[in-house]
Amino acid sequence: MDWIKQIGRFIVVMVLQVLLFNQLQLWGVCHPYVYVLCLLMMPITLPHSVDMVIGAVVGLLMDVCCNSLGIHTASCILVMFLRPYLIAAFVNEKERLTEQISIRTIGFEAFIKYAVLIVMIHHLAVFMLAAWSWSHIGFVLAEMVVSSLMTLLLIIGYSILSDQ
Amino acid sequence: MQNLLKILQRYSNFLVFLILEVAAFLLIVYNNAAPRSHVLSTANAFIAWQYEQENEVRGYFSLRQANDQLAAENAALRNEIESMKSREIEPAMQFMSAKVVQMTTDELHNYLTINRGAKDGVIRGQGVRNAEGVVGIVRTVGSHYSVVLPVINTHTHISCRFSKNDYIATLLWDGKDTRFASLTDVAAHMVVNAGDTIVTSGLSPVFPEGIPVGIVENSILHTGDSYHSIRVRLNTDFKRLKHVEVIQNRSQNELEELQHGLD
Repeated sequence: MDWIKQIGRFIVVMVLQVLLFNQLQLWGVCHPYVYVLCLLMMPITLPHSVDMVIGAVVGLLMDVCCNSLGIHTASCILVMFLRPYLIAAFVNEKERLTEQISIRTIGFEAFIKYAVLIVMIHHLAVFMLAAWSWSHIGFVLAEMVVSSLMTLLLIIGYSILSDQ
Repeated sequence: MQNLLKILQRYSNFLVFLILEVAAFLLIVYNNAAPRSHVLSTANAFIAWQYEQENEVRGYFSLRQANDQLAAENAALRNEIESMKSREIEPAMQFMSAKVVQMTTDELHNYLTINRGAKDGVIRGQGVRNAEGVVGIVRTVGSHYSVVLPVINTHTHISCRFSKNDYIATLLWDGKDTRFASLTDVAAHMVVNAGDTIVTSGLSPVFPEGIPVGIVENSILHTGDSYHSIRVRLNTDFKRLKHVEVIQNRSQNELEELQHGLD
């Protein structure tokens, strides 16, 4: 997948995120941040530090749309920092990573493990930073679990569809 | 020196990570503490414009309800005009109508964006109300849009009083239910009944006195407590907020200057 396609997908996903997923009001704890799929599925061809800068830019854009300056930026940078280590832990054939990371390219099991970790870390970081105190920790954890499940369902669904 | 360079090279990715994260945390702290840059929030004209377009489409689905609300408001205003015709005074306050173009209601720190900005005379710190009651306080002002900190944000504090005996208290939101907030600083000797009406106190220049806030739902006082814990049912329905009014108090600047002079 070339970069024009990546950027096109990023724009579509961001518009959906801001106009659709951010407006979801399910049980008060469901805030799926599906835009993380753009970071998650990006091929690993660029230097690690460039990846982190891309994460910062994506997070900053999201923050501007959500009035949450810094929160998504910090979470996306964290995810982009951890990404190559998680990939290395789950994937053996490194040559496949120049394509987008999906079920077809790295296998179902590896993709699920990788996606679960990335999404949970990202969502936990976002909700912890938004709460900015330990007094809402129960609420934050509930938010993290429910929202991560929703995001994962959508990401896995997208991955299956886009592989066909 | 060469060793140092080697170490830097080896950990360069981690260094980049640290620098970026520190920058992000500075943004968060700055955002929590200071008035925000309007470019980096939904007061940003481009982002707010998009929300407004989306709202235009959505607005058609709730026209009937909006009409009913407007009709009721018109009637109330007409009554007020009639009662004021007898007196001739220069109004100290002006209300400017605004439309809500974006709002969150299910986070701890909710915000709403309105389609009025510096060009319309909006200033940071002005109060916002609607026909039902208090909405919030203007936080960030862009040229055409502003971001409002509503009652349902855990950062918001609003000075209130009981309308029955003028007892002063502070309204806070606990982050759970957009229909309720809690009232603090009510000492145990005060008698609180369910159904007591709470209005703004007029002690700060943000809100004039007597804007409806809510009604006491219940109050708990355990033996040994020195303060009541009071749950207030808010008048404003934040889940259905569409039209609001920005309160422009002519004496707000003067009052604030006086109060700062005392510090």
